[in-house]
Amino acid sequence: MVDSRDAVQKYLIGRHLEPRGSRFFIVSIILSVLTIAGIVGFVLRFQDGFGQGDLWGYYVALFAFIFAAAGGAPMVAISTRIAKAHWPRSISRISELFSIVSLFGIILFIPMIWILPDMEDGRRTLWFFGKLNVPSNLPHILTTLGLVSLVLTGLFILWLSLMPDIRFLRDMSNTKKGSWLYNLSAGWIGSSRQWFMQRHRIGILGAFYFMTLIFVHFLIAVDFSMTLVPGWIDALYPVTQAHNSLQVGVATVVLTMFAVRYFGHYQDYLTIDQFRGLGKLMFALSLLWFWFWFSSFIVLWYGAKPSEKSVLELLMTGPYIWVFIAAFVLLFVVPLFTMIWNPLRRSIWGPTIIAGCVFIGAILDKIRIYVASYSVIDQAGLHEIEHVPSTIWPGFADILIWIGGLAGCVLVYMLATRILPVINIWEQKELKLYQVHKKFHRIEVQVLGKPE
Amino acid sequence: MVQVLSAIMGHRSVVGLFSDEDSAADALDALQAANFESNEYEVLTGTPYPDGTFGEAEPVHKLYRFPLVGAICGFSVGLLLTVGTQLGWPMVTGGKPILSIPPMVIVMYEGTMLGAIIFTVIGIVFESRLPRLFMGAYDDSITEGAIGVAVTTSQDRVEDAEKVLNKAGAERVKRGWEKD
Repeated sequence: MVDSRDAVQKYLIGRHLEPRGSRFFIVSIILSVLTIAGIVGFVLRFQDGFGQGDLWGYYVALFAFIFAAAGGAPMVAISTRIAKAHWPRSISRISELFSIVSLFGIILFIPMIWILPDMEDGRRTLWFFGKLNVPSNLPHILTTLGLVSLVLTGLFILWLSLMPDIRFLRDMSNTKKGSWLYNLSAGWIGSSRQWFMQRHRIGILGAFYFMTLIFVHFLIAVDFSMTLVPGWIDALYPVTQAHNSLQVGVATVVLTMFAVRYFGHYQDYLTIDQFRGLGKLMFALSLLWFWFWFSSFIVLWYGAKPSEKSVLELLMTGPYIWVFIAAFVLLFVVPLFTMIWNPLRRSIWGPTIIAGCVFIGAILDKIRIYVASYSVIDQAGLHEIEHVPSTIWPGFADILIWIGGLAGCVLVYMLATRILPVINIWEQKELKLYQVHKKFHRIEVQVLGKPE
Repeated sequence: MVQVLSAIMGHRSVVGLFSDEDSAADALDALQAANFESNEYEVLTGTPYPDGTFGEAEPVHKLYRFPLVGAICGFSVGLLLTVGTQLGWPMVTGGKPILSIPPMVIVMYEGTMLGAIIFTVIGIVFESRLPRLFMGAYDDSITEGAIGVAVTTSQDRVEDAEKVLNKAGAERVKRGWEKD
């Protein structure tokens, strides 16, 4: 671990600029091939057109998952920065870089504008279509608008956070005026005023990001799944999806941290402190998942109207029962009965494995919800589900689309780390301002100050 | 923009480079004693020091007004849109009033958020004086740990500023791009 601020900067810039090994390029090529395979899968699926909504359930589930994970991940940096914590300094960039993956998510969203039918099919929505003279594709318009706002806000936060680091790169690589590095740094010179503004503006935009994230999840959950299932009326479901985004966002950051630590060799910066801190957060969010799910479940289960029983059958006890059980176990049971153990929580492997479970659980949860919802899309105009369709298994095209979609996300992230420093340099330098090691009786302790 | 205007108005910039925080703070005191206004000098660092570390005044800004104004504008547009459409096509739905708050809240919220975000971004760019088209007095060594004290002042006072910075212990004093 390097000590002084200058040494930290030199080390991190040096690490960032050093050529990537052959493993990086081999993995990039493999991911590129898999991404292309995903495009092939999309073309295969597209041959049937957008008209048959039930064929697109897995695609929509993929988008929902990527949006949840990539949209929730920046919240790790935003929330901990607002709390003025020191331990997340080395993971803030890791989480903010997911805004670029969200951009990839927007590309995936484009076909969904055609997959989701307009409101003329008679389904009940929030928009009182037919009563108020709203356009029949109002859900498409509002969700697109919300999604674009969210991603732009995330990218803007990333840019603000990057500006000082880009300036370091600009100065240390003698970048000439007019180059992309020079332009991206927007003439940042590190004046007191700029640092002051940066501190405040990241906080403000972070708060907006959070508010928009919740809202966009609300729109997607309601318009892209709940209204397609006749009889499904659940006020808690949209916020459950927003919460799940935070949960899987934290899990995604933990997994990425693990990869950056071992493959990027940042062991000095991604220590047990970061894994333990995020592990606790993930544990708390997993407990909250159960609370949200149970609150939704109990209303439908106790109500027990035929329409409600059909919804429960469709989403939980019917064709997707095993997917539901697996998601329940991975999102709640496993984190609960593992993260209560201190030795596991206070390790690097423990939170990583649990994060893997939460990650897979979230995939299964999205499949359960979205594939089931799109399987009854032809009944959307009814008051209740007339018959619960049997399980829709993924076809060859769906498997390719999922592999390609996930590979594309990893590829985009890897390429972003090639260009932008994956560890936030200015925050590490700032940490050195507030960090002192002092002798305390027989031991040496770390004293951390807090700027106020 | 400020730098361009400064150059047009005959202002020039100069930066003194210091190796430690105390010397830089002393330089600010010396500039103040030499009757330079607080908006004529600023500290340039590669690390975000706590506000006021060098004795500099806290920047006066209107950053919080931008989101507020944007939110009010966005909320107003959302309100007009929902009220306008509902009064334009008055249909009683589910026995609820024509102007029902719950469905209106959704559009108003999105309008408010959009307005607030857009105005915040504008505010940030404006308040941070970005993009900075011309660097003014700057040196790459600031990235490597040096602390810069930059003075932007009228042409006839540049030499005074240089003297003050040198006297305060600047290791090097450098003029800005306007010297050419």
